[in-house]
Amino acid sequence: MIDQSVRPVHAGAIVTRKEDQRLLSGQGRYVADIVLPNIVDVAVVRSPFAHARIRNIDIDVARKAAGVVAVYTAADLADVSAFPDYMDFAKPVHAFPLARERVRYVGTPVAAVVATDRYLAEDAAELVGLDLDPLPVVTSPDEALAAGAPRLYDEWPDNVIVESVQVRPEVDQLFESHTVVRGTYRSHRHTAVPIETRGTVAEFRHGRLTVWTTTQSPHIVRTVIATMLGLGERSVRVIAPDIGGGFGGKTHVYAEEVLVAWLAIKLNRPVRWIEDRREHLIGSSHAREQVQELEAAVDETGRVMALRARIVADLGSGEILPPGIAPSFVSSANLTGPYRIPLAKSTVVCVATNKTPSGAYRGFGAPEMVFAVERLIEKIAHEVGRDPLDLRRDMLLNEEDLPYVNAAGSRIDSGSHRQAFERAVEIGRSSMSHREPSSDNHRIGLGVATFIEGVGPSYYATSGHWTSHDSAMVRVDPDGGVFVTSGVTTTGQGVETMVATLAADALGVPFDQVTVVLGDTDLCPYGLGGWGSRSTIIGGGAVLEAASIVRAKMLAIAGHLLEAATEDLVIEEGSFRVRGVEHPGVSFADVATAAYVRTYELPPELEPGLEATATWDPPGIDHWPNADGLMNACASYTNATHVAVVEVDLETGQLEILDYIVVHDAGRIINPQIVDGQIHGGVAQGIGGACYEHLPYDAEGQPLATSLMDYLLPSATEIPPMTVEHIQTLSPVTPLGVKGVGEAGTLGPAAAIANAVCNALREFGVDEIRETPITPSTIRYLLRRTRGETS
Amino acid sequence: MTVESQTEVEVSMTVNGVEMTRVVPARLLLADFIRSYLGLTGTHVGCEHGVCGACTIIVDGAAVRSCILLTVQADGAEILTVEGITPSEGLGELQRAFADDHGLQCGFCTAGFLMTITAADEIPETDEDLRVFLSGNLCRCTGYQNIISAVRRYVAGRTT
Repeated sequence: MIDQSVRPVHAGAIVTRKEDQRLLSGQGRYVADIVLPNIVDVAVVRSPFAHARIRNIDIDVARKAAGVVAVYTAADLADVSAFPDYMDFAKPVHAFPLARERVRYVGTPVAAVVATDRYLAEDAAELVGLDLDPLPVVTSPDEALAAGAPRLYDEWPDNVIVESVQVRPEVDQLFESHTVVRGTYRSHRHTAVPIETRGTVAEFRHGRLTVWTTTQSPHIVRTVIATMLGLGERSVRVIAPDIGGGFGGKTHVYAEEVLVAWLAIKLNRPVRWIEDRREHLIGSSHAREQVQELEAAVDETGRVMALRARIVADLGSGEILPPGIAPSFVSSANLTGPYRIPLAKSTVVCVATNKTPSGAYRGFGAPEMVFAVERLIEKIAHEVGRDPLDLRRDMLLNEEDLPYVNAAGSRIDSGSHRQAFERAVEIGRSSMSHREPSSDNHRIGLGVATFIEGVGPSYYATSGHWTSHDSAMVRVDPDGGVFVTSGVTTTGQGVETMVATLAADALGVPFDQVTVVLGDTDLCPYGLGGWGSRSTIIGGGAVLEAASIVRAKMLAIAGHLLEAATEDLVIEEGSFRVRGVEHPGVSFADVATAAYVRTYELPPELEPGLEATATWDPPGIDHWPNADGLMNACASYTNATHVAVVEVDLETGQLEILDYIVVHDAGRIINPQIVDGQIHGGVAQGIGGACYEHLPYDAEGQPLATSLMDYLLPSATEIPPMTVEHIQTLSPVTPLGVKGVGEAGTLGPAAAIANAVCNALREFGVDEIRETPITPSTIRYLLRRTRGETS
Repeated sequence: MTVESQTEVEVSMTVNGVEMTRVVPARLLLADFIRSYLGLTGTHVGCEHGVCGACTIIVDGAAVRSCILLTVQADGAEILTVEGITPSEGLGELQRAFADDHGLQCGFCTAGFLMTITAADEIPETDEDLRVFLSGNLCRCTGYQNIISAVRRYVAGRTT
């Protein structure tokens, strides 16, 4: 049981982040900053073809080039086992760090060139002769699912990685007795693009392998590297130092991480690989490419009685761990959103194509479905002739509906679904009321997206391994200083600060007295890392558990020193006092000293030391579907409503977001500034995905966005000022009632912006934005089409 | 004259107030020189093709992208990096404003922003102009909102 009796001093307040001094002064240490004696650099040679058989790789010329230490191909890595396939319901792919016989996307690693510096390694990489026999390609699910389509995996009957069909006759029955509204929606392919690319440094000394790598999950990387290289986990140390953004893309265990570890052992010297931006755009996980065919059974007022979905995801080659199938199931779980829609069912089809493997990206399947459902609701409203906001009001969860188990089995324990919606609409309307279009050729519009988001999810559902716990170690040193480690990690969100805040409050010490170390498998207890908006809920829960154990022991020692019963003690400003007694008490350091140094002062029943390791696992979470096919896959569920106010230039199709409003409920807020920052950043990525970012491929499977000149990240001029407000409805099931906030900002923008554009262009009959990105060309096309122009 | 990949040249420059002379490959990028030869790893490389602005440093008073300059182009120059604007203890005013307003998360792009702002003769008065001014530096974490307010805080602090 978590002790929540300590008065929070730091939680809820703005404290300067632990991270900021080093990150602002150039003292951050990222993977690319790590230099070791005698280190060598790796350049990875990648397939230029989307699909080919490897006939031969000629390394003779490269091997003799200046500065080259060694060149390796898959044949040299014969002793490395395949990436584990933990998911027994998806087809296995058996990927290796360097492709063995076949390449299935442009960018597949096929050879590694090691040289004394990166320039020379890259020079020599160009001298590696690739003799590849091109095979026919499939670049979309339509192509991949067509009869007689070329197959990526000869041993599969088709290109389907997984197909999951929910059978619910009671859903189908409703469709026979109600009006049916249909819509097909499409989310395009984009990707996380942290400003720091990936990179790995490894060294092998005294029989131990140390790997510094850009990961969100160092323990999982350790497990996989140890498994694939046949090492004991005790012989592998994985360190995630400062990480320059992750956003899900760094949750995967990548070929290069295993390759660099293997090279360090093989060469017996430190090895470094730093991904360049082109490699990043073709070799790091992609995301979001999905088609959603939705059908709603609606009553005469438009209220949705049941939903059916067919979700088809283009997962690229599938050669990634964890596999990319899970976001589609999250999409499915998001089908009914924050609405009282009693019944739903879906079919999920994950398809392999000759494109970069798709995987995790902030939002993880949810933004795709929020876009689809929030567009469909607008369509239903227009078909039945109702105000789409009123239709939402009819269906939104009200306070009295909670807790609510939705049609997917998600247990929505608490929230402010209706309240957040009304507030966001109110601010949006106020913004609209004082705006006029810039000219006769402009229109303004308001669009809404409202949603829930599962936070702190089961990892079993994503990986087929692990579940949902995390861990923390809290130690009070002899001088009274507090040292905390955890299995959750940070990629910039401020998790160090969150952990220190919770530990300081739980122990009753000043924030500055707490030091936090994350991301080092030799120091931190086994945990699953930082992703899925889980760090504060689950890591925070573990910190509070561990701190409460240490605190109880300190109270016992203090009671003994003060000759008082522990229940009579109070902890104030770092000292223990007897309640109502004038005595100055004993300081935190006095108690700590007794625990380690003046151990003769300890009560006889207590052992020396002040240290506890604890885990926390969300209660009531399901790791696989129940017998009825339902599943509560997350620790809790946040809610939010986003409102976009946009202006559209009728001539150019230019879209400007004038105002962006978020009313969010993430439960209790630990650090308001950090929470706002998470929303701002998530919204910016959502806007990028909605309007700018796109990873197109040509018919041969060649990626067309391979630099930041093709893949457009929003700059400060593309991101509008945001208004962010919070409602704090505490979760009854999580520590302190927190709910997690890392991803939610990404869920709303595509839907809110699409709805706003349609609202602005309603007089022209434009109401059918069915796919992203929403570009000026899209808008011009829609306007031309409704005017009956064909070109 | 053809320059082979191994051709080396001598360069001299002043970096953060320290004069130095080094022999470097002619093709060595300035960002790599600063990071690998001088060990000043506060300058980060985000895209290596001059788009993201993470590697921005100040060369002879101007903010430049060090990933698309050759080291030899900086021969004789005066260079300032994030290490050069950091006081020996604590943070400078601009850095402090970023900390106070949560103008950074992962910190990877941050030095680029700090150097762009430090190099400016004048910081734009309206937020709209400030956004244009900062549009050569990409940040993937903050959504820019708190960077804008950090700069505003910094400017307000300077003028009072």
